[in-house]
Amino acid sequence: MSGYLSGLIGILGINIIFAYSIYVTAATGQLNLGGAGFQAIGAYSCAVLSEMFGLSIPFLLLLSTIIGATVGFLIAFPILRTRGVYMVLATFAFAEIVAGVILNSDSLGGPTGLVLSDYIETDVIIWSTIGVVVFCFYLMSTRIGLAMRAVHDDEAVADLLGVNRRAVQVGAFAIGGALAGLSGGLYALYFGFVEAQYFNAFLSIFVLLYVLIGGTQTAWGALIGASFFTLVPELLRMGDDWRFFIFGVIIVVMMIWRPEGMVTRQAIDRITLKLFPVVRRHG
Amino acid sequence: MVFTQQLVNGLMLGSIYISVAVAFTLTIGILNFLNFTIPALYMLAGMVGWSVSYYGLPFGLSEPLGWAPSLLVGITCSVLASLLVERFTYRYFKIKHGDSTEHAIPLVSSLGFLLIFEYAILGAHGSETRGFHTPFTDLNWRFADLVISIPQVTSLILSLCIVVGLSFMLKKTRIGRALRATAESPDTATLMGVEVRKIVPIVFVLTGLLCGLAGSIFAVNYSEVSPYMGDHVGTKAIAAMVIGGLGSVWGAIAGGLIVGISETFSIHFFGASSAQITVWGLLLVLLIFRPNGLFGHNAIGKGKF
Amino acid sequence: MADPILQISSVSKNFGGVVVLEDVSFVVEAGARHALIGPNGAGKTTMFNVISGVYQQNAGDVLFAGQNINDIPSRKRIALGMARSFQNIRLMPHLSVTENVMLGQHSQAGILDLLKPIMVMPRAHDKERAVELLDSFGLEAFQGRSVSELPYGVRKKIEVVRALMANPRLLLLDEPAAGLNVAETATLHDFLVEVAERGVTLLLVEHDMPFVNKLCETVTVMNFGRRIYDGPVSGLREDKNVLEAYLGADA
Repeated sequence: MSGYLSGLIGILGINIIFAYSIYVTAATGQLNLGGAGFQAIGAYSCAVLSEMFGLSIPFLLLLSTIIGATVGFLIAFPILRTRGVYMVLATFAFAEIVAGVILNSDSLGGPTGLVLSDYIETDVIIWSTIGVVVFCFYLMSTRIGLAMRAVHDDEAVADLLGVNRRAVQVGAFAIGGALAGLSGGLYALYFGFVEAQYFNAFLSIFVLLYVLIGGTQTAWGALIGASFFTLVPELLRMGDDWRFFIFGVIIVVMMIWRPEGMVTRQAIDRITLKLFPVVRRHG
Repeated sequence: MVFTQQLVNGLMLGSIYISVAVAFTLTIGILNFLNFTIPALYMLAGMVGWSVSYYGLPFGLSEPLGWAPSLLVGITCSVLASLLVERFTYRYFKIKHGDSTEHAIPLVSSLGFLLIFEYAILGAHGSETRGFHTPFTDLNWRFADLVISIPQVTSLILSLCIVVGLSFMLKKTRIGRALRATAESPDTATLMGVEVRKIVPIVFVLTGLLCGLAGSIFAVNYSEVSPYMGDHVGTKAIAAMVIGGLGSVWGAIAGGLIVGISETFSIHFFGASSAQITVWGLLLVLLIFRPNGLFGHNAIGKGKF
Repeated sequence: MADPILQISSVSKNFGGVVVLEDVSFVVEAGARHALIGPNGAGKTTMFNVISGVYQQNAGDVLFAGQNINDIPSRKRIALGMARSFQNIRLMPHLSVTENVMLGQHSQAGILDLLKPIMVMPRAHDKERAVELLDSFGLEAFQGRSVSELPYGVRKKIEVVRALMANPRLLLLDEPAAGLNVAETATLHDFLVEVAERGVTLLLVEHDMPFVNKLCETVTVMNFGRRIYDGPVSGLREDKNVLEAYLGADA
């Protein structure tokens, strides 16, 4: 594999995992505009643990995931007191605080960042990505996934039908935190370097847009959204600035033309019916 | 004395945030729409202003202009850009989905426009900070040890005048009453004979105007502009809006000043990058424990996405 | 005489200073078809919300099958055997008909059921039960369809089927006949009779009096948050309070 191609696959995998972390909360109807904060926590945990304790790679990734999950779980309780625009702003504030803390801590390298001596090859990212994608598809196909979508549509009715909406929402934040932590750990190990400026407000905005443009109705949305916005600009070989300009245009056009996102449930049903016309679908 | 000086600096910084915070709070109060293009509109005024004063009008229409007409062109650009956003986010969705405020669509669209404006400028002018020259650099008043810059005082007064004028307009004029009726309930407003469709663009014109003026004031005050100038002010203005309470014009003023003061104090006592933690920490605590802010209306912004 | 499945005793509810329910008591016998009627603003829907736990009453008790359920949260009441429909149909708009119906079963799923990938298993038990129930009411044609594209009357029935998935003993129906035309009302009547014949007690809030007359045996009438009549449907016409509430004091 050429360096360019493996680099592209590496960042693609990281973006996909990151997008799923936001997707899981979006699927329950919560918009998280603080993705960068969660990812930064994973990346810095990985970097610090690697330097301080010299743990093995699987352990580092596991711990990044667990730390991400714990933070997601804990932050869910205050965040879930807010609704609508307030939640968008609260998650955004959370990410800004994380970045602020990192910039102010000398032990975390402050603005200069941290260098890691451990590193991973692209195959670790590939397998992690496959694992996360399979997990998310599985999750959304269970009754838990059904309950998550029910909470997204109508919290009050889901509650009356016996769905523990609090558990679903907190659980979604914890899973989201775990996946963001994992993507952060992979990022740190793959690039061998973390700096606070990378985990900025625009990163949070981009990853939320991957998911919303991809579509939150099915687990395909995050995969398609993240892949599309990572690969298409590469294929077009545009300069960085014009790439994001086009990204903006695509978003505005998509919101007019297809506000539910690229992949909708109906589209999936239609494709499935075409591929397997014999199987009578109940779902 | 250090304390007083920091207080003065904080008030000056806050005065820039006020206009932008008011722009945020107006759109969210009247349309229930968190308009993320606002930082870009602010930046557009400064960058377009710089570009006209450096290159002149496009297509060789003129020689480089003076600072005042340049900024006027910049403000016009902000207003036009704001109307463009209205055309492609708000107006469109109102027609197609009924009550667009129920959806995250306008918010996502406005993020799209934020990228469009910001990266169009970056693509055209690069990311460097540009000097913006005005005749009034280094105009300071000195009282004992206290240093007060005259452009900053002017901008504080100007910001306050704009906001006071605006709140007068909201209270007393026909358009103001129509705007407030729309904020209460678009449907009732329609029944009462308010043409909501004609009112909405007014909000966007005001947004463009406020951001354009704030961007110009910044350019004059600090004698420099950059494509990133909106990000910093935008996030701080959001914080100011939340602290003051969504939808409250006077709250935005108080919030802007609080953010400005807490920022300068925290920079002074804890170092440059601590302001981020102070301001956003304050904001997060407030969001969680007092989500209506200091002066907010409790019905705004609760709608589910 | 059958045991009461639902006992409302001296329930009061106020919002701020506004008294919405004042000392209301009535009893629904197991297997009954009971209606709760009254003019607009009488507090019928509030009563439903108290019964299903959306609101907590300020005073009084709600007993379900002899058990006091005051302190049981709304989420756990469906597992006791109490399911409800809503005044404006509240099916999940992004879930298909089958998925909506399957959701009705949520309260009965154990931990292992939660972890089964039922949406992709072609022969998942949960899904088959939902389809069977839809079939048994002649709704099989709508299984995989999106909820938003179905006619109003069909959506009303699907909401009831969703509630039935929880195997309820008591079904609370909030204005089931509202917004239906004559033909749809007739099919809804037959549908609810069939539901009742499966052993489900019906308690409905309804404005359509001919519909109530035909379907229900007993009725509670409320006005301004108070109970003004409780008894057989046949007794309504002679009751002075009821006539006064509906036709004004001069009647």
